[in-house]
Amino acid sequence: MKRDALKALTNAHAWVGLIISTILFIIFFAGSLSLFRDDIIAWERSPHFSVTSDIEQFSLDNIVAKVVKKYDVDMEGGLKVIFPSVKEPIINLYFEQKIAADQHLDQHLLVSADGKIIGDGDSFEWANFLYRLHYNLHIPEVGLYFVGIVTLFFFVALISGVVIHWRKIISKFFQYRKDGKKDKWLDAHNLIGVMGLPFHIMYAFSGLVFNLLIVYQISYAVALYGGDQGKLLKAAGVVDIHLEETNIAVPMQGLDRLLLTAKRSLGEVDITRMTIDHFGDESASVTFSGFDNSQFSTNKEVTYHIASGRELYLTKNNNDNNLRGGLTVIANLHFGNFAGYSLRILFFILGIGTCYIILTGNLMWLQKKANLRSEKQNEFGLQLVKAMTTGGFIGTVFATAVGFICARVLPTDLLDRSDVIGQIFFACLGASLLVSLAIKAQQQFSAIFLKITALALIMIPILDWLMMSSGIIAMLKAGYFDVIIIEVILLSLALCCWLISSKLLVPTEATVEDDKPSNPLDMAAQSIGRSRVSN
Amino acid sequence: MWSRTFAGFLLGLLLSISVVLNLNLLLPIKEATMLLIGLLCAFPIWASCQVWAYTFTSSKKAWQTLTLTLAPSALLNALLLTLRYYS
Repeated sequence: MKRDALKALTNAHAWVGLIISTILFIIFFAGSLSLFRDDIIAWERSPHFSVTSDIEQFSLDNIVAKVVKKYDVDMEGGLKVIFPSVKEPIINLYFEQKIAADQHLDQHLLVSADGKIIGDGDSFEWANFLYRLHYNLHIPEVGLYFVGIVTLFFFVALISGVVIHWRKIISKFFQYRKDGKKDKWLDAHNLIGVMGLPFHIMYAFSGLVFNLLIVYQISYAVALYGGDQGKLLKAAGVVDIHLEETNIAVPMQGLDRLLLTAKRSLGEVDITRMTIDHFGDESASVTFSGFDNSQFSTNKEVTYHIASGRELYLTKNNNDNNLRGGLTVIANLHFGNFAGYSLRILFFILGIGTCYIILTGNLMWLQKKANLRSEKQNEFGLQLVKAMTTGGFIGTVFATAVGFICARVLPTDLLDRSDVIGQIFFACLGASLLVSLAIKAQQQFSAIFLKITALALIMIPILDWLMMSSGIIAMLKAGYFDVIIIEVILLSLALCCWLISSKLLVPTEATVEDDKPSNPLDMAAQSIGRSRVSN
Repeated sequence: MWSRTFAGFLLGLLLSISVVLNLNLLLPIKEATMLLIGLLCAFPIWASCQVWAYTFTSSKKAWQTLTLTLAPSALLNALLLTLRYYS
């Protein structure tokens, strides 16, 4: 590649990285934690309820009968049951409750394995808050596509990074110069970037598929299927089993018998969910679906007509469609659910490593700008990047720690509890950004802020055991270790924050000898000071 | 930088759609498999075009080169779709 082209690409790599840095950091940090979404769900709510290891004994007929007795289930909305599992002993039940002629209320009930309705699932949404933050930043309507575009530019940064580093990718593979600051950041940036490259490419690509698939879906539908979305969905393996509504009411019973039949029909499968369409109508059908744990990514599904028990649809291999099969593989890779905890821990470490790559990218940019002559510097731009780096990055970790604390201490019967926690999260993040915009001594601020964040993270296990010790012990006795797993993750993050903070507070030789700031954030701040004096 | 970004983003998207459409129309493979292959190719093509746009020192050159690359692929799209319509 020509020298000019390489230089232009290097500038673009830095520019793209800087523009997307804060959003990408939030996406990767929330995504890394979302690898343990099931554990966070169990961490938040299971200590509040008595859990049992006997999860095979639940009766669908019993649960549905109890729901029908207490609620007017809307026939149009359907009913979904997520089965208890070795990870999550509580049954999740979703349906629409009819409250007026044209009005309904979405219900999410928590049901124990013995069929008792034990709580409202929507009160325990912290894990899902983090997950939605990861894929749409809680921006209504366009958030998904916005995250998709950021992911596209992450992919662009990856490809451009490989092109820039290509000639040295083998010879400097293990290079880590720990003495020079810029060299150290550059080497760490390259080292983690190259070692984690397959992981990064997988996440960039799979993230694009989830968030921007619609772009190609529309173009395929228009160009290949004459605008007929239905034809495209059919080719893509979407199976629509639709029976005409009869408006003849029938009791929704015989589900346990159909579950046994489904287990026999599907063979090796871990059935995870049941959905009922046209609930209460004679035309109602029930679908059982799950994963074949002996395969890498195989979905199995069977649908029955409830009134007659007739089989309407059966697939033992991802709807017998290559596109569906391929998308299932991509999804399994993204969620890391094709192996046990060891894989998720590896993905988590690589995810946090990506956060470090983003951080070093910003630090290098700041160092470069701090070295420029004062008249070439954009005062506001520098301060903004500093705020994005300090307030945005540390602020995200801090806001997450506060979210965990709120999820533990706020009463479970608090009105709109989950929304309140979400608002507190964004208030903390916003406040962090504003404070860091106003502060000049960024290194000291970062060090103190990291210490506060570490303390907030350490508070979570302490609060767990102070408030929920009996519930946690009951979980441990029943063989559920989710609380411990989450506490270990949070304590590891606390340790990282504390160590980085301690490193920032130690004066380096350069600082003592030359009175020069050792951190680019402070160098940039000093340069701003110089430019103010010269102005 | 913004102009090269828009060039890569817009023309890269169009080029990825166009190339994938040509693959769909030319290769005699099962429909669902073809859709999957298209999907697997589309995003890397889009991102690579964006990277390509950044390698130009002027935005005009980026727009020109990407447009010239898109043109033959788009013409082939038009030809294949016309043939498909009349066959």
